[in-house]
Amino acid sequence: MLNIQNLHAEIDGKEILKGLTLSVNAGEVHAIMGPNGAGKSTLGYVLGGRGGYEATSGSVTFDGQNLLELAPHERAAAGLFLGFQYPVEIPGVSNVQFLREAANAQRRHRGEAQLSGAEFLKLARAQAAALGMDAEMLKRPVNVGFSGGEKKRNEMVQMGILNPKLAILDETDSGLDIDALKAVGEGINRIMRAPDKAVLLITHYQRLLDYVKPDFVHVLADGRIVRSGGPELAHELEREGYGALAA
Amino acid sequence: MTVLDLPSTRQEAWRWADMATLRAAAALPPTPAGVDPADLFLDLDGPRLCFVDGVFEPAHSRPGPVEVIRQIAATDHPLGSLAIGEGWALRLGAEHAATCIQIVHLGTGGENHVPARILLADDAVATLVETFAGTGWANRLTAIALGKGARLMRSVRLVQSEGFVSIRDEAEIGEAASLVSIFLGAGGMGSRIDGALTLTGKGAFAEMGGVLLTSGAQKQEAAVAVRHEQIEGTSRQIWRAVAADQSVASLAARVEVARGAQQTDGEQSLRGLLLQRTATVNLKPELEIFADDVKCAHGATVGELDRNALFYLESRGIEAPQAKALLTHAFVADALARIGEEPVREAFLADAATWLEAAL
Repeated sequence: MLNIQNLHAEIDGKEILKGLTLSVNAGEVHAIMGPNGAGKSTLGYVLGGRGGYEATSGSVTFDGQNLLELAPHERAAAGLFLGFQYPVEIPGVSNVQFLREAANAQRRHRGEAQLSGAEFLKLARAQAAALGMDAEMLKRPVNVGFSGGEKKRNEMVQMGILNPKLAILDETDSGLDIDALKAVGEGINRIMRAPDKAVLLITHYQRLLDYVKPDFVHVLADGRIVRSGGPELAHELEREGYGALAA
Repeated sequence: MTVLDLPSTRQEAWRWADMATLRAAAALPPTPAGVDPADLFLDLDGPRLCFVDGVFEPAHSRPGPVEVIRQIAATDHPLGSLAIGEGWALRLGAEHAATCIQIVHLGTGGENHVPARILLADDAVATLVETFAGTGWANRLTAIALGKGARLMRSVRLVQSEGFVSIRDEAEIGEAASLVSIFLGAGGMGSRIDGALTLTGKGAFAEMGGVLLTSGAQKQEAAVAVRHEQIEGTSRQIWRAVAADQSVASLAARVEVARGAQQTDGEQSLRGLLLQRTATVNLKPELEIFADDVKCAHGATVGELDRNALFYLESRGIEAPQAKALLTHAFVADALARIGEEPVREAFLADAATWLEAAL
């Protein structure tokens, strides 16, 4: 589904990713772990298409398409979802308005029928309920005044509504208490654990991996994958720290 | 030869005024408007007045309680004092109400001057919508006096395709009375929205604010002074400006709190958004406070669209132009949300949306 070959990327002329290679197949959950500054968030942003994060060489294909050629909204319509470490507050735009525009923009792009207001609300309410988010919060401006946990739940509600093929979740566990962590973990499993979907979890700590069991764990250090393994690797990292592994 | 008496941009209060566009608008020869005045009214039941080039047009009007009369301007304001001759007056007795009054000003070229007067006796209520369309220089003076507990809600949209609109409001707001005037500049004309509001009674409420949208080489400005003379007064000046291309939007807002006007609650929020770096937004917030028990919140910021927010929207599938429109619309919406009547608010938001679609 996602094939990254020897990817180099830079921000403001500074190389952050230095030859990253990774392949994710449908039905798989991959965790990318690594110390701060290893390039984890950069990887998420490069895959999402954020301006200023420039891939200088290498290739990324998503379902056979050259991902790097697509605009961010085209990547979304193709089925990619980027969960933000710091979801952005947008005063004056309600969650419902934002998500309906987003869902319908993706549908338009794919040549599918638009969702009516009623159809969309039904979908949004169901997703909010599944994540334990008060339906009233759908009417509030996007993430404005939300706690850290509420913002991350809101990311998962968005993911549930948009129903992507590949979710790249950047530090989705940061700022979560144990209840929110559990809700978010269950959300990821419910929405994304399917034979035709895949997840790339970017995380510093292994605690989210107690709820979302990865099939593969990779260690990212200094812009490259330095080690890959099964779920046991996460525990090893937790025990021994990154220092020993990256060395 | 009114044009000779125009204020100079060397005067501080007129430094951002676009008198060149005003002069050019006054010199535009009349040409058929190509607009049916009937199309400029919102679909609301209520009195209607239409002025074409400053002349009352009975065929498109049903003035109801509004009188059409000649007036003399009682002001020394350099533009307001030019607004003499035939105009309109709304005088409501105590506890009377007149809602959804609409006034359409259509210009075909040249200059036109209309004086207006709104006098609401104690506990009277009025709501008013004004629309400026067409071209030429439209100059207006509106004198407002609100008795105890009277309430006036006024919404004014400037959608002339070109030319210039100058508005001068002079208001005295009595005890516990409320004046809310919201402006939208969403046409291609230059403008000067100029106001002097005085809270003359205890517990009065005064609000003048709105949205200026500029593009091309256009210049629009608002210059408002609110003076608190009595205790427990509240004032709000909430302005948003969005400037594209090489345009200039300027906001000058002043709050004066007289000695003894204790427990004044003033809020001034001036925010500008630049759609391109070639555009300019000028902000000038001013406070002059001579009382010691006063709350005056003020903020003035100019910036570009938040790149984080843009990428967030795009990453969810929204195309860049729509994402920009959504964020820009949200930026102006809170200033227009002050309009109390839903159909009027919706119409103003739709005008703003039309402008945004063209500008983004």
